[in-house]
Amino acid sequence: MPSSALQVARTGLEAQDQRMRVIANNLANVGTTAFKRDRANFATLAYQDARVAGADSSTETTYATGLNLGTGVAIQSTTRMETQGSLETTGNNLDLALDGDGYFQVQLPGGQLGYTRAGNFTRSSEGQLVTSQGYALQPSITVPDNATSITISTDGTVSAQIAGQSDPTQLGQITVASFTNPGGLQASSDNFMLETAASGPAQIGVPGENGRGQIRQGMLEASNVNIVEELVDMIETQRAYEINSKMISAVDQMLQNANQTL
Amino acid sequence: MDRLIYTAVSGMNASMTRERVIASNMANAQTIGFRKEIIQATPMTLEGPQLEARAMTSTEVRGASMKEGSVTSTGNPLDVALDGDAMLAVQAYDGGEAYTRRGDLSVSVTGVIENGEGLPVLGDNGPVTVPPGSIVTIAPDGGVLVKDPATPQDPPVRLDRLKLVSTTGSQIEKDLAGQFRVRGGGVLPVDENARLTPEALEQSNVNASEVLVEMISAQRLFDMRTKLVDTAKQLDEGSARLMRIDS
Repeated sequence: MPSSALQVARTGLEAQDQRMRVIANNLANVGTTAFKRDRANFATLAYQDARVAGADSSTETTYATGLNLGTGVAIQSTTRMETQGSLETTGNNLDLALDGDGYFQVQLPGGQLGYTRAGNFTRSSEGQLVTSQGYALQPSITVPDNATSITISTDGTVSAQIAGQSDPTQLGQITVASFTNPGGLQASSDNFMLETAASGPAQIGVPGENGRGQIRQGMLEASNVNIVEELVDMIETQRAYEINSKMISAVDQMLQNANQTL
Repeated sequence: MDRLIYTAVSGMNASMTRERVIASNMANAQTIGFRKEIIQATPMTLEGPQLEARAMTSTEVRGASMKEGSVTSTGNPLDVALDGDAMLAVQAYDGGEAYTRRGDLSVSVTGVIENGEGLPVLGDNGPVTVPPGSIVTIAPDGGVLVKDPATPQDPPVRLDRLKLVSTTGSQIEKDLAGQFRVRGGGVLPVDENARLTPEALEQSNVNASEVLVEMISAQRLFDMRTKLVDTAKQLDEGSARLMRIDS
């Protein structure tokens, strides 16, 4: 097994490389609405037992411990850190932020429901509330053309002032989905999450009840990426990568030396 | 032919093993709660009346260094760092009880609390389960406090307590999955005085600058031992030349 030290060092390089990708993705999304940063989880790979503990070393004595040789490391998973991003006032009355847990539900093409915390909605040509990609918010809210001002309360009630009427008209109710294990949601493109077996089924409810977040109109949730923290992680990863690559060149030199000398 | 060459080769192999263990330690320099392996080289001689002029060397992992890694605050309510020599009891893959310093906990979809390796964490009576969807916090004594999101004004309910054990006076060693077990089997009792720090994680105790030094010294030792094999080769050639009968 002369090359096994090389292989072990290689697992370290690969894991650092993947961690760097996670950090780069976090940094790239520092301005993405409601983005949640990922944390890379390392896990020790299985040990190899080069000799079973208790095997005979001679007829009278046995080895006390097994010779457990580590085989390196792998990135096991990434954890989405679900901390709240800061709420920023935009002044646009169709921008909605969730203050607390939960997700808006959006009808994706193909009929699947997507879940997102990015609440920068606009009106489609038919007057429906849609995301910037044009996907309709669920349950659907349609704003008539002659509506003058739209008010969305913290519990998700949507009402508007219709021209020619003195009282505001209620247009619908925005609901919020919460999950048993939000970390189990599968991240998809365009800020959307998809339900998985690990996240459990969506539990739909009124904002502000049962621990669900409240809706804040005219605000957006910023990304929860902390640039300083990511930069520190980046430097740490870079250094670890360097030392792992030094490790590879050290083993390489050892083998080279053996080849030349003998 | 002299046996020196075999002795020297055993040294080369031992240096390569040493380098491999160092590489494995370095690869795990960012694994939460990792404990680095300690290497020990032992001379192997046959007991007997003969002169001990040759000692083959064998290098093996003797155990793990239990030095504490640095603790960083994460602000995540399910991250715990264990204080002192306390360890967290988890259910290993084979169902047995193993111990770990890895405290990046999470709640699975069925409500089981697992650590970052995906192993269920043990409480007073087996794995700790919380009602799905509840808000979980961990107290410094390992208490699992649960709040129902529907009634946020109520005080949290103490549901269970993570099994924290003290390893003082017990021999523990890593199994093949990298978890600690009591040597020879068995379980450790709950340590009432063990504490943990919530919202923090203990990093790996592998120190990168130490690794660099160990790596270079292992490399140079390997080179010297290679030289020794070369010397043995030359000696052998010399004696063969002496014995040659020139025609």
